Amino acid sequence: MHISDGVLPISITVGGYVASAALASFSAARTRSVDLPKVAVVTSAFFVASLIHVPFGPTSVHLILPGLVGAMLGTSAFLSIGLGLLLQSLLFQFGGITALGANTLMMGLPALLCGWFFQTFKGNTRTCQMTIGGLSGALGTALAAVILALLLATGGEDFFGVAKIALVAHVPVILIEGALTAFTVGFLGRVKPELLQPAFVKPSGPPHA
Amino acid sequence: MMRFPKVLIVGGLSAWLMTFPVSAAAQAPAAEYAPELVTLLKEQTGKLSGDLRHIQREIAALRADLEKPGFRDIFSGIGYIFGLFGVAAFVASRRKE
Repeated sequence: MHISDGVLPISITVGGYVASAALASFSAARTRSVDLPKVAVVTSAFFVASLIHVPFGPTSVHLILPGLVGAMLGTSAFLSIGLGLLLQSLLFQFGGITALGANTLMMGLPALLCGWFFQTFKGNTRTCQMTIGGLSGALGTALAAVILALLLATGGEDFFGVAKIALVAHVPVILIEGALTAFTVGFLGRVKPELLQPAFVKPSGPPHA
Repeated sequence: MMRFPKVLIVGGLSAWLMTFPVSAAAQAPAAEYAPELVTLLKEQTGKLSGDLRHIQREIAALRADLEKPGFRDIFSGIGYIFGLFGVAAFVASRRKE
């Protein structure tokens, strides 16, 4: 799920860059320096995840992980995804460099939403956390597909047609990501629960403190 | 009797020089060569073009492989990420002092 060069109209390309830059700087300002190692590790996991191809029937799908990144990083997720996508487009030619802004919006907004969703509804029991984690993992990919359709609709495509195709094509990814995020959240909740406490809802300290 | 080696010499020279192969072929009609030579050449040409096709296919496969990110790309990306966050942590720690 990457948009290539030259697909989007120029206004959307520029607008995507401006919106992503604003959100990324907001995200960077909200990142506390004690969280930097965690953000770095999750960013590299996100960067590598899209290389893991899961064979599924005649085709193969790859992970995207916006839901997990959002659940673990909260506000910092946008910065993380922006950096991961920048390096992916530079090193792997995944998505064009001009479409980077739009691509970052497409994956970063679901991550922010999933982070908020996870933090708000995660509850206290581990079963509840796992369920909500799995839901946010699935929701992240589904939302990314919808935003992809929205962005492509600005390039003159039919929104509902593209949305339908993108969602159907990503049903396996959505299922796999839901399961994977639920498993990861359950594991982290048991082993290191403080990793699931991003400074998203109530920042426990001033930024860069 | 004297003509046959002359033709051979001319043909060999022209093949060696690679500059007048057409004129040499025109001077010596193909029928005057031994028919085995012609079939041999045809065989070799066929084998060579088969080999060439094989190599072209190999090159296409290699090019497709090159498009895929390799281990070097993956690790350099991870290195970039850790390095950039390391710089960020350094700047943040300097600011705190």
